[in-house]
Amino acid sequence: MANQGPDRRAILEMLSLAAIAGQFNGFSRWAYAAAPAERAAPAYKPQFFTEQEYALLDVLTEMIIPRDETPGARDAGVAEFIDFMVAHDPEIQQPFRDGLSSLQNRKISTEVLLRAPVFKLLRRYTVMGYYTTRIGLEELDFPGLKMYSKSPGCPHTNDREHKQLMVGQTIGFSSSAKGSS
Amino acid sequence: MPNKPYDVIVIGTGAGGGMAIHTLCKAGAKVCALNGSRRLDPRKDFRNHRMPYDMKFRGFGDPKEEKQRIGYMDNEYTEGIWEHDIVYTTAPGTKWTWPRCFAVGGKTNFWGRSSARFGDIDFRAADRDGYDVNWPVTYAEMAPYYSRVERMIGVASTVQNRPSNPDGEYLPPMNFRCLDWILETGARKVGIPYLPDRIAQLTVPHAGHPGCHFCANCTDGCDTGSFFSTPWFFLPEAEKSGNLEIRTNVLAKNIIAGNDGRAAGVAYVDRKTGQEMEVYGKAVVVAASCVESARILLNSKSRRWPTGIANSSGQVGRNLCDHLYGTTARGYLPQLRGQPSFPDNVSASTIAWMPRWQNLDNPHKEQFIRGYSVYPDGGCSEFPGYFDEIDGFGREFKREIKRRYPTPVSFYSQAPSQRSDSNYVDIDPVVKDKYGIPAARLHFEWDKNTLLMWEHAKHSCEELLRASGAEYTGHGNPDPPGTSLHETGTCRMGNDPKKFVTNRFGQTHDVPNLYVCDASVFLNCTDKTTTISILAFSLRTSEYLVENLKRG
Repeated sequence: MANQGPDRRAILEMLSLAAIAGQFNGFSRWAYAAAPAERAAPAYKPQFFTEQEYALLDVLTEMIIPRDETPGARDAGVAEFIDFMVAHDPEIQQPFRDGLSSLQNRKISTEVLLRAPVFKLLRRYTVMGYYTTRIGLEELDFPGLKMYSKSPGCPHTNDREHKQLMVGQTIGFSSSAKGSS
Repeated sequence: MPNKPYDVIVIGTGAGGGMAIHTLCKAGAKVCALNGSRRLDPRKDFRNHRMPYDMKFRGFGDPKEEKQRIGYMDNEYTEGIWEHDIVYTTAPGTKWTWPRCFAVGGKTNFWGRSSARFGDIDFRAADRDGYDVNWPVTYAEMAPYYSRVERMIGVASTVQNRPSNPDGEYLPPMNFRCLDWILETGARKVGIPYLPDRIAQLTVPHAGHPGCHFCANCTDGCDTGSFFSTPWFFLPEAEKSGNLEIRTNVLAKNIIAGNDGRAAGVAYVDRKTGQEMEVYGKAVVVAASCVESARILLNSKSRRWPTGIANSSGQVGRNLCDHLYGTTARGYLPQLRGQPSFPDNVSASTIAWMPRWQNLDNPHKEQFIRGYSVYPDGGCSEFPGYFDEIDGFGREFKREIKRRYPTPVSFYSQAPSQRSDSNYVDIDPVVKDKYGIPAARLHFEWDKNTLLMWEHAKHSCEELLRASGAEYTGHGNPDPPGTSLHETGTCRMGNDPKKFVTNRFGQTHDVPNLYVCDASVFLNCTDKTTTISILAFSLRTSEYLVENLKRG
């Protein structure tokens, strides 16, 4: 039977089809976050939130995933993503609106944010928005959607139990990453 | 042209139908295949190379449409491919979810690819534990068909000498990842097998098809055809023979019963025009997938067949079985915390498996009969779904998400239900789909035996995790039935025409020119996946059909 598949060059072409997010109207930072080249981001006009709500949303997302050695939520256009998703999801519109309004005009300390009823929802959407951009996937060094000539295998052939990797590691994940932006 | 008689009408182009079409066309039979939806274009429809930011809703899907999605493979990446137009109903208490892909090639476009042979431990299970009846075939009879299928489709694995799993002819296996070696160590400590899966994924080029490029996202479709699907492997050759006509976007409504007691053809509805059409053939193969095949037979009522064609046994639609899927355990591997990212998801995570280890020497050792298998999953995936298990926010939250990226692991059960009188499909007396065809109605609840397996699986996987040095964080709940896409049993094969729908070759007892070529002929679903066995049984049935055609 003839080889039915496209050749390797065709696959490379397909892989380079990325960064088409710019085709969705109204996405400035999002498109920027997806595009490889640096590009100035024009001001974004929210679809659902008021300007005031949106400004607060932008601050809160950056508190949750701040820029440190790597870009943060604002760099990745997370507030735009949240505005877009909320605009399309009537079920979360009121919780978001009420949640933001309870934090409006307050000094937002770590404790205030952690105790805010909207915190979990806000954090979930911030994570969703951040780690689905080029910036977020680079932060994780997402290893997929690449090409390998053979099935990638564990490189630690002398340490199958991976005990040596644990030297200096704290075992256990009873993590408490309390806000420390 | 419309009334030109064909040799064979085949309903469905998935694993069962595709194999039948391929076998029949190569033998010179003129075939008309009926397919419920359109042909897919790999370049447009397979979005396996899209990043989340290439999708409008980042792969999460339009929130307004999410509730209509059926099953885990039906998502923004596969939009427009899974079937939503054809309704089905469920009896009170039944939570059946029924994902259907009516596109040419059916579910083979997106399948999980695990491909273990059934063995005598499955075919002769009733001899061992006294429950239900044996299959009307032996492994010795089926083995050559499995070998031929493996050579056609390419299955990567190793020879494992497991009593539950006959070995086959394999391409080089997928390599174990870090997480596999760690879990394998734990598995050895608790006496559970942890081995390379049997996966129909081309680790090397095979039979004219290019080798896998290990990009992951296989269940979004493969644009290089590096795992078996009928549109990449069977249909092009069948079409090249000049013996095949595929009619797309048509829904088989019923089998037309001839006055001579034989099947005359198939009545179908053209989805574009809504018009009802008929096509005639010397034989008919039903391969529309288990529940849909039963629906077609049950909807084929006539004076001669008041309860549906080929249903004198009353067994069409009965004996529905399925695999209970669910996350039996999840946790983290501290050994990998903070390690560099590794391409763990290169085969959408079907790299290793834990083949059945229960009730092998003694069929009654456990509280349940038969057995189940488990698939491990984990490592660096696209989205850090574990974030919810980390507290707080800010810099430390972000760093912890990164540190944990290689560490998550989980297990997925594949526990078979056993036949029971209360699990079946019939025709809803009231509801019809939008084309006027009476809808299938599902009656199904997990039986006690399956739920005991689930409990056992949860316990075993937790033990394995802890023995691996992992932190155990919990388990999920059973997925609704139907999720596995492994439904079987609605047209069981057997020698007694009073108790079984088809004979041991998949030919219906009542109607000699009507055959069934999908998992509905299976007696139950075993602990293995269904596709490779559908292919093996369909190959056998199709060759038997060719012989019958020659005899006239």
